[in-house]
Amino acid sequence: MKNEKGMVRGWHILLLAGISGLLFLFYQGLWGNPSYIPPVLVGTPAPRFEAPDLYKGVPVTLDQFKGKVVVLNFWASWCQECKLEHESLLALNRQYGQNPGFVMLGVNYQDKESLAKEYLNTFGNNFQHIIDLNGRISIDYGVYGVPETFVIDQSGVIRHKEIGPIIGETYDRFTHRILEPLLINQPVSP
Amino acid sequence: MIIELGHLAVITALVLAMIGIVVPVIGIKKQKAVWIEIGRQAVTLNFFLLTLGMAAMIYAYVTQDYSVKYVAATSNSKLPIFYKIAGLWGGHEGSLLLWAWILSAYCALAVWIHWKTQPVVIPYLIAMESLILSGFLLLILFLSNPFERLLSAPPDGRDLNPLLQDPAMVGHPPMLYMGYVGLSIPFCFAMAALFSGRLGEEWIKVTQRWTLLAWISLTTGILMGGYWAYYELGWGGYWGWDPVENAAFMPWLVATAFLHSVMVQETRKMFKVWNLFLIILAFSLSLIGTFLVRSGVLSSVHSFATDPGRGLFILSFLAFMLILSFGTLIFRSNKLKSNIEMDSMVSRESVFLFNNLFFLVAMITVFIGTLYPLLTEALKFKKVSVGPPYYNAVFMPIALGLIFLMGVGPYIPWRKASFESLKKQFLFPLIFAGAGMILFAIVGIRDLYALSGLTVVSFVLASIVLDFKRISSFLAKQRKITALQGFYTSFRQNPRRVAGIITHIGVLIMVVGIIFSTIYQTEKVVILKPGEEVVLKSYRIKLIRLYEVEGPNWQAQEGSFQVYQGDALITRLYPQKRLYPVSQTPTTETALHQIYMGHLFLTIPEVAPDGSWARVRALFNPLILWVWYGGGVMVFGGLLNIFRPKRKEVYAAHSTEASLPEGVPGIPQLSSKRMTQE
Repeated sequence: MKNEKGMVRGWHILLLAGISGLLFLFYQGLWGNPSYIPPVLVGTPAPRFEAPDLYKGVPVTLDQFKGKVVVLNFWASWCQECKLEHESLLALNRQYGQNPGFVMLGVNYQDKESLAKEYLNTFGNNFQHIIDLNGRISIDYGVYGVPETFVIDQSGVIRHKEIGPIIGETYDRFTHRILEPLLINQPVSP
Repeated sequence: MIIELGHLAVITALVLAMIGIVVPVIGIKKQKAVWIEIGRQAVTLNFFLLTLGMAAMIYAYVTQDYSVKYVAATSNSKLPIFYKIAGLWGGHEGSLLLWAWILSAYCALAVWIHWKTQPVVIPYLIAMESLILSGFLLLILFLSNPFERLLSAPPDGRDLNPLLQDPAMVGHPPMLYMGYVGLSIPFCFAMAALFSGRLGEEWIKVTQRWTLLAWISLTTGILMGGYWAYYELGWGGYWGWDPVENAAFMPWLVATAFLHSVMVQETRKMFKVWNLFLIILAFSLSLIGTFLVRSGVLSSVHSFATDPGRGLFILSFLAFMLILSFGTLIFRSNKLKSNIEMDSMVSRESVFLFNNLFFLVAMITVFIGTLYPLLTEALKFKKVSVGPPYYNAVFMPIALGLIFLMGVGPYIPWRKASFESLKKQFLFPLIFAGAGMILFAIVGIRDLYALSGLTVVSFVLASIVLDFKRISSFLAKQRKITALQGFYTSFRQNPRRVAGIITHIGVLIMVVGIIFSTIYQTEKVVILKPGEEVVLKSYRIKLIRLYEVEGPNWQAQEGSFQVYQGDALITRLYPQKRLYPVSQTPTTETALHQIYMGHLFLTIPEVAPDGSWARVRALFNPLILWVWYGGGVMVFGGLLNIFRPKRKEVYAAHSTEASLPEGVPGIPQLSSKRMTQE
């Protein structure tokens, strides 16, 4: 009997705490800018994943690229902005692809396999792609939308995140200030 | 002049609403009916005053009075009259006025209906409803006043957001608000029950139809919103887990849980505190939804102006309401204890318990997903949002569980189910579902979600059919009538149950629609020049030419397409890329062709300025119409439930039990026979 009363009180406290927490959260939220997105996960170890290759279907893991700088690009065939940056991505891999310490990996997000392949056939392709089957990788990396590009360093730490297409000035900044210093093991200055 | 009159009417309404909070309380304290009568008059008068306020605004729209700031912001002289009126809820200020008006209408109606029969509850109801109304009127008059004038009137308005110029969008907000606000009536009854200490089953019985009305409105509102997104936004889907969609979905989930759990209280006197909690939660979620939408704390496709002052006010009001309602629940519910323990885990009670648990977990999933950006920000995590993959991964299994329970709950006996009765009821559906699964797999449905979804749907369907057949033939034999008449008799005898099952059938139809239209959707995006074609499934879609057209308040580039199946021309489609020059907003107008109950969906998101090529997006959405057909059946079931005929005989679940099909009135000899067996 006593125990039951204690449980009820416990529920009451939990409920009140929940409400207070919620209100505090809303209050905090009022002062934030909803469209501001700080650099996600930068400086933390990159979430590990295992996903099938778009063409061969064999599993690809992040671990197999340890010791290399990985550029992880989330894209989809239905995404207009991805088309904008596609040429730049191909150029990026042409520029650094020969470097043994560099690897580029596309992550196909919320898409259909056939459409993804068709997209690559139409717009060209020179690097490896994996399929984010149930969206797990996107959840782990906190992907808002596509395109988003992550740069992971040799020890598996995320060093940079780019939201939106990598074109024009962004491309230059991306290559000169982020990729190149990383490739020669220097600190990154975004 | 008219607009000032409307303004004055709303100011008066605020004063009256404040009076309406106080006088019923005095009436209860002093035990004098006259005070409560004043409250009633205030409520009735408020409805007329707010109607006047609404009418004044509509008058300003129709007469194109652009000296009113809000009208100038949401209307234009070229706008068709239909959309001129809808412009009233095309923005923040007008939406709130509509909210308040619907609230006053509900309140007046509730007081009018229940004045004689619920004398104890009415004063509390008036006080609570007036409190909510005051909060909204304060917000309207001081922080978002639609009656505000501009010092110098512009010659013409800035136009209603073109995306909102759609028939579904005219009906969507009022329906949604009717749902949100409708929940306030059962909420106020629950609060009245807590305050007055009359915590029996009465409030639940009285508010049943109110809750149903709110649920139907919410359902319709969400369905219309989905159709609008599908047709007007042109991305080919109808649900994107956007914060604002979620804001409407969360109260719906809890209201649905509530509609189910009240049945346990009615028949078994259990879940008393739980039901109070659920309805308070459901209405709180409507308020939270309003806060999320109106304060701009979350980014979403429904962009409304951000104003911390406004947000702060709504937040304070929200905090007040949450603390008041949940606080009262905590302090007043101590008296309540369900006297009856659960007899067995294999019983209808426990299925209802799981139903509630699942709905609540579903709600929490959506809640966390929606608030995740806020949460990470407040805890100084890095800001991470959760997109559709999160919802698909977490929500789908819960939805599957809920659908499965739909096939168990209505058919498992109360209290304790014997193995025999379980076998009798569920063996056939299980075999049927198993056979269905094998069949689906053979036909080529290999997707895990599709296969398990369809299997569960067949299980539920078999349960429903078996049950209907059993009751009908039982009654047919008993009364010597045909099975069809027997079915009708079963409806006459337990209309609530049959109406509920019709709603369940609607859910099944919708689920099949969702499965096929999402998992088996085919899509192609290509650039076409006139004369070229794209092949989608067995259809060839050929672009004939591109040209310019003009509407009352827009210009567009239109594509003329011919759709062939084999060599036969089956239809012509004319999607558009529109530009609304006043607001400089482009939109894509979808062209649809119905194939069986699916859609061929065509948009041209990008057209070359000289009309030499167009980017064409072609989709085939199989069975997509089932989503809305199913929704229609759900709403029909709900309406049938509201307007159901009175039951012929009162029949309590305690007296007759498992061996009798549900919906059959207790026959004395039969039940007494069972008694002796026990």
